Amino acid sequence: MNPEVSKKNTSDKLRILLPFLSIFIPGSSQIIVKKTWRGISILIFTSLLGFLVNWSFQNYKIGQVTLFEGASYSWLWIPFLLFYGWNIADAFLLAKNKKSPALIAIIAAALILYVIGWSVTGVKMERLVTRYDDAKVVMKRLFNPDFFTVHDGDKVDICSWDCLWNYMKAKINGTEAPQVTFSQNTGQIFGQKGTITASRWDVLLGKATINQRIPGFETGKLIETIAIGLMATLFSTILAVPVSFLAAHNVMRRVPGGSIIYYISRTLLNIVRAVDTVVWGLIIIVWVGLGSFAGVIALTIHSIAALAKLFSEEIEHIDPGPVEAIEATGGNFFQVIRYGVIPQIIPSFLSYTLLRWDINMRSATVIGFVAGGGIGFFVVETIRMGGYQQYAAALWAVAVVIIIVDYISSRWRFNILKDQPKAVDKIPTWKKIRTILYIVLGIAAFLYCWEITRIDLKKLLDPGPTFGRLLKDFVSIDTTGKVINNIVRELIITTMQALMATTLGGVLAIPFSFLAAKNLTGKSKFSAWIFVITRGVFNVLRSIEALLYVAIFVYWVGIGPYAGMLALSITTFALMGKLFSEAIENIDSGPIEAINATGANKLQSIIYAIVPQIVPPFLSYLIYQWDINIRMATIIGFAGGGGIGLMLSTFFGSLQYHKAGTVILAIVIIVAVMDFTSAKIREKFV
Amino acid sequence: MLKIENLSKTYSNGTQALHDVSFEVEEGEFLAVIGLSGSGKSTLLRCINRLIEPTSGKITWNGVDITAASGKDIRKIRRQIGMVFQQFNLVKRSSVNTNVLSGRLGYVPTFPSLFHVFSKEDHQRVTKTLNMVGLADKIDVRADSLSGGQQQRVGIARALMQDPKMILADEPVASLDPVLAHSILKYLEQLNKEFGMTVLCSLHFLDLVHRYATRAIALKDGNLVFQGLPKEIDDVQFKAIYGKDAERIEVI
Repeated sequence: MNPEVSKKNTSDKLRILLPFLSIFIPGSSQIIVKKTWRGISILIFTSLLGFLVNWSFQNYKIGQVTLFEGASYSWLWIPFLLFYGWNIADAFLLAKNKKSPALIAIIAAALILYVIGWSVTGVKMERLVTRYDDAKVVMKRLFNPDFFTVHDGDKVDICSWDCLWNYMKAKINGTEAPQVTFSQNTGQIFGQKGTITASRWDVLLGKATINQRIPGFETGKLIETIAIGLMATLFSTILAVPVSFLAAHNVMRRVPGGSIIYYISRTLLNIVRAVDTVVWGLIIIVWVGLGSFAGVIALTIHSIAALAKLFSEEIEHIDPGPVEAIEATGGNFFQVIRYGVIPQIIPSFLSYTLLRWDINMRSATVIGFVAGGGIGFFVVETIRMGGYQQYAAALWAVAVVIIIVDYISSRWRFNILKDQPKAVDKIPTWKKIRTILYIVLGIAAFLYCWEITRIDLKKLLDPGPTFGRLLKDFVSIDTTGKVINNIVRELIITTMQALMATTLGGVLAIPFSFLAAKNLTGKSKFSAWIFVITRGVFNVLRSIEALLYVAIFVYWVGIGPYAGMLALSITTFALMGKLFSEAIENIDSGPIEAINATGANKLQSIIYAIVPQIVPPFLSYLIYQWDINIRMATIIGFAGGGGIGLMLSTFFGSLQYHKAGTVILAIVIIVAVMDFTSAKIREKFV
Repeated sequence: MLKIENLSKTYSNGTQALHDVSFEVEEGEFLAVIGLSGSGKSTLLRCINRLIEPTSGKITWNGVDITAASGKDIRKIRRQIGMVFQQFNLVKRSSVNTNVLSGRLGYVPTFPSLFHVFSKEDHQRVTKTLNMVGLADKIDVRADSLSGGQQQRVGIARALMQDPKMILADEPVASLDPVLAHSILKYLEQLNKEFGMTVLCSLHFLDLVHRYATRAIALKDGNLVFQGLPKEIDDVQFKAIYGKDAERIEVI
């Protein structure tokens, strides 16, 4: 008998019975009829939703309704049953080869997730209003940063914009005005005259002894931040290149035993990348102690992992033609790399390095929250003392620096990837001189940065007193029930923060992104201004890390997950607004024309020609932001934003490394799982 | 009858795309519009359904002044004129079904259409038109998974959904292989001969004009330089339209 036919007969019989399986095990019949992913996701989602409804009711009494005789249940079981019912309906429809509308399932799941998310992140919308006066105070201070001081006799005061305005007016009119100078705060941010610890160069030149305090120019916290970002980028690029070859499949395949090395390095890179820079900072300070050096190392470690992953993917995607050609000439492994691989990868490596520089600068602004160097440390200190105007000055300074870095980085990347064939003419002398000048300047900058970030390689070999214990405790982590329960709670809060922030920021960004799309704003002066202002707001808000925003919301709505969620929403709003508006600018005008030609009206043309073109990129960006927010939510607690970060810093602070290790493992797992999920979703829908 | 009188179009950047163009098209004609790239062919076709606003001049169609119509009226006129584009202009991520259905948008009430609700007749019409262009089996696939020739047939199906009395085809075969060009133009010929639709089609290749058109007009730098039967385009005319360096080439 033909095996095809017999298979068909049994499958016909099975088809009638199969859907019933899904009544008992959700998704099971879908898995059997070759819709593996659909089935598995139904199974996972059903168990997850069931767990969440039960957990939230046990711990927070979320959705409590009291039925007869005082027995209380969560009403969230209703959407859960709806989801479960949809799964059964889906199984039966699938057996008839029909598609079932997933909308019901999505609505039911979203309802459960958002109700729980709303509660556990402690969303209290009314606080935005009832604490409006506090918000006003904080906003007023944010817009009046402490950059200048006014000296009125013996009285010294912060000179904000109105004071500065009066001063300028007086100067122009030539009338008498109190003296205005840069404030002490500005000095701390940008640098000022003071006493410094003698540098190695002074010691070498015999001008001072080691660790002697001498008069000199104190480095500003912002300058220190820039130096941290630069050094980390430099070190990580140099170190990531060899690592990336170990993690490139097409290279390692050629080496005996290379595949094993490939899998090990890929796994390691993913683990290192899943732990945020700030968390690395916590570990590193145990090793080398507080300071900029710890910041540089933390950034470098995270950056190596991120860069090596991008680099290795780039190596895997090179054109095999030249490699084949070099091999054909009889070149050995290293010759193939030198002449077949490296020329192909240089532009993209440079471009990734520049991108990473941008990211590292942003990380450098917050690494001080734990590692004690750069502007982050300064922000922690000022907030502790309630100096919101000093904090504001730091924020504005950071915004300016990051916007410049962002501009330079994207400009250079654009130039590199434009890939113009250059003429190999004789280079004019002035260009040679310029190159030499650049190299000298680069070396000088490098040495200066080395000095101010206090890089001390000897410290690496002489770890802090508890570092050995940390390593030991990280291996034997604490998995007692109570710790696990607490971690699960904090993880759910953290994930929900990311979910709420992505939703809130994303939804808010949609209307504004239309205002910031050049092709929609039109040509009138008024709308051109709207475009400039919206884009400007996006860029300024985007330049400051979520961790730096938390202080504002802690003041406004109180300490806890809600403040952290709002801070994450701000950065989400800014980045999504920018990316959405660019997606709108990139839509194809052809379909709009075609739909108009059918006699459709404006609304119909939006729904049929514009929406289908912008939904996929919007979704894809939201998923990307979701990945970012999950990572950010794990550290937002360091600044009082709730979630797992607070727990982690407490465990580190009290030297409970057993438990800290468990938390880090949990973070790695959640980030990896979420990365995997979002990659799958992206594959499926976008 | 379509009557175009003294039509001119000057773009806001100063380019004069059409200059005092006048001609007439009888019901049931297959009119080829020829000329070099940038000679104003696309602008002319788009002025007829007012996707582009003419600067001056008058277009009347069966006694209705298209140039004077506004808002709702222009949409009512547009829905009777099907349009086919060089780049197909399909919504790439939407299904063939949605793309073809969107041809009905000028007829259906707005509110249901915003939620993709269409009548049974409209759905039947989709099946019918897709059968006609030989793509019935592709109804549920995404438009961007089709080949160029197939996409253009979807474009024709979308235009047919409008129940058009006239078809404007803006270089419908310029993005396609010569072999496919014939298959697409045969559909237009069929619509013209069997259903009596007026067809205005801009074309690049002269032998396609000879083969399909019943009459031709030629534009050069926005001016009408020729109108008459396709076979009347002799070498002298040809050089006048395409410039003295042009050579005739043959496609299959």
